[in-house]
Amino acid sequence: MALPLPGAGWPSKNKPYEIGVRGRSFVPSFTKTGESGSMTSDKIQHRPSAEVLKEMDDEALIKQFQNGNREVYRFLVERHQERIRNLLFSIFHDSDYIEDLAQEVFIKAYQALPHFRFEASFYTWLYRIAVNKSRDELRKKKIRRFFSFQTLDEGIENELNKRISVPPEDRDTQELVSLGLKALPEKFRIAVVLKDIDGLTYEEIAKVMDCELGTVKSRISRARSMLRKALKPLLEEV
Amino acid sequence: MKKMNEQRMDELLSQYVDGRLSENELKEVEAMLSENASARKRLKDLLVLKDLLASKQKLTQDIGFWTRFSAELERQNQIKQNAPSFTRKFMPALSAAAAVVFIVAGSIVYQNMIKQTDQSTGGIQVSEDVPNSGRMQGQLMPFFSKIDKDRALQFSLLGTLPIDEKSKTELRMDKQSEKGYRIEVAKDSKNKANTITFDRFIAEVKPSSRQKRLIDSLLELTSRRIESSVLIGENNVMAIAPDLPNINKMMVTNIAACLEPYQRVQFERLLEANDAPYTVTVKNGTTEAENRVFQRIPQLPRDNRFVIITPDTMIYSQIQIDFDSMRKQMSEDVRALEQRREAMLKRILSKDFNRLRNSSPYPQHGNAFGHEEFFNVEIIVPADEIDQQQMHLMVQPRVRKRIMHTVSPGSAIEIRDSKDSALQNISR
Repeated sequence: MALPLPGAGWPSKNKPYEIGVRGRSFVPSFTKTGESGSMTSDKIQHRPSAEVLKEMDDEALIKQFQNGNREVYRFLVERHQERIRNLLFSIFHDSDYIEDLAQEVFIKAYQALPHFRFEASFYTWLYRIAVNKSRDELRKKKIRRFFSFQTLDEGIENELNKRISVPPEDRDTQELVSLGLKALPEKFRIAVVLKDIDGLTYEEIAKVMDCELGTVKSRISRARSMLRKALKPLLEEV
Repeated sequence: MKKMNEQRMDELLSQYVDGRLSENELKEVEAMLSENASARKRLKDLLVLKDLLASKQKLTQDIGFWTRFSAELERQNQIKQNAPSFTRKFMPALSAAAAVVFIVAGSIVYQNMIKQTDQSTGGIQVSEDVPNSGRMQGQLMPFFSKIDKDRALQFSLLGTLPIDEKSKTELRMDKQSEKGYRIEVAKDSKNKANTITFDRFIAEVKPSSRQKRLIDSLLELTSRRIESSVLIGENNVMAIAPDLPNINKMMVTNIAACLEPYQRVQFERLLEANDAPYTVTVKNGTTEAENRVFQRIPQLPRDNRFVIITPDTMIYSQIQIDFDSMRKQMSEDVRALEQRREAMLKRILSKDFNRLRNSSPYPQHGNAFGHEEFFNVEIIVPADEIDQQQMHLMVQPRVRKRIMHTVSPGSAIEIRDSKDSALQNISR
């Protein structure tokens, strides 16, 4: 038996297509046939309106979600997609590639959200999923360099040197900063992105990267030193 | 030793700029800065670097993200549901033990859900007349496969889709009245100017790269939807999802929604120049980006219901289809599809499809007839409601100049009004 289309229901004999407006607040569920949204009609009647949901904080939305109102996930996604996409963009510097990754992060979060325990803020938790996903991807792409984990990626560094040695007026600062970040080993790159681009605190970064506070301090400091050396001509010019 | 000192200096300075030092460490750094020029230089570089990183170009809110994400979530949902259970997993082995093996590529079993009809009024053939008493087995394939971006756009905006280059046949959707749609398989309209390619759309509407990406995603969803909405089967069976024409209006609405007001003017000009079935007008001035709402394009026909047309019957039925395996098979056996489609086209364009006598109980009205040059299915179902409140847009049927076929083969009428009169004229 196929799932009834979202927002619809099985048509009755007399009014087979009279099923109302569909679509825009749809969130598919992973429940089995007949349980779409896992809501009884009574519960549906008591669901807050979209305007009310839009004003709710993350915690309240998650509680709604955990109580079976899967449609609220849309608000969480729309609220956080920009930050997550930017985090992934800062790590990978590939806008096409991050599209799929961002979707995977939000799907993973959707599956795990019923078990969310409110021990951390939602966005820290989401960041952790995104960082773990990024690490997996970097591992798959073999970007991670096991034998040179304290130094810049040679290939990217050469490219950076080539581009940074042009006259200042021909330099593309944004591109050089991106290349500098890309040349950093994974752990340093993620730490400095979370700190200097996303503005997380040291404590939040420790949670997201699942490491000690001292390690975070050390990684950020190391990342900045490496970047300072890599981007020296640019920094001197400024 | 020097290296250790440098590392220590970097760590202290790094935490200094972040305001993370203890009182003692702070004193140590301030002393170092007053004495050491190298430390001051490092601090300056560090501050510049922090500024550069903080001002790094960022991606903006992607208004189409949810649309694409929800489609992906739905797809994964379907995959999960289609994953065989333990029992189902071992069913093939059990079947083999019973020495009965069914290998049905495309895995189609469609069950007729038609319960009744008014035979006294010369009603259309119903379930009893379907082979195997309401249960049909066979192979279904998408009539269209690998629909590229140009064709998806053509369908989205104009409601037409070329079927076959050789016979110059196309599928056409037309909103004929407030009550429903007409789907027609016929020779290309003579007016060859009515084609919109993606490049032409880009050149005239000039979407930004972000808008372009979003429209790309919408077109991809449309392609998938078309694939699952028009099917051909054994014994010259054709199945069309009656809600397919809704996609037209949804797509015009969606594309208009992601454009800026000045681009919508260009968009409407493009639609008008090509006699598109829908017209876009902006209700109230500018639209705030956060108010843009996209219509979710359902990836499967509503309730998996199709109008199934054979040379002598037309029924409305629910079909259970494993689209994933069908697509997989399609990608592996393109040639088989081509041959099947050619055979089907010959059949459709022959006289074998005489006009069917009457409508089925559902859709509320249905009609199918054929001629040398066209095969026509009229289906009247209520259109999907599209909520345009938040978009300040009106997407309405256009008064068109196109020439459509009528019931009487060989003759044609000019549709000048989108109201019911045209349909009544046709279906009379």
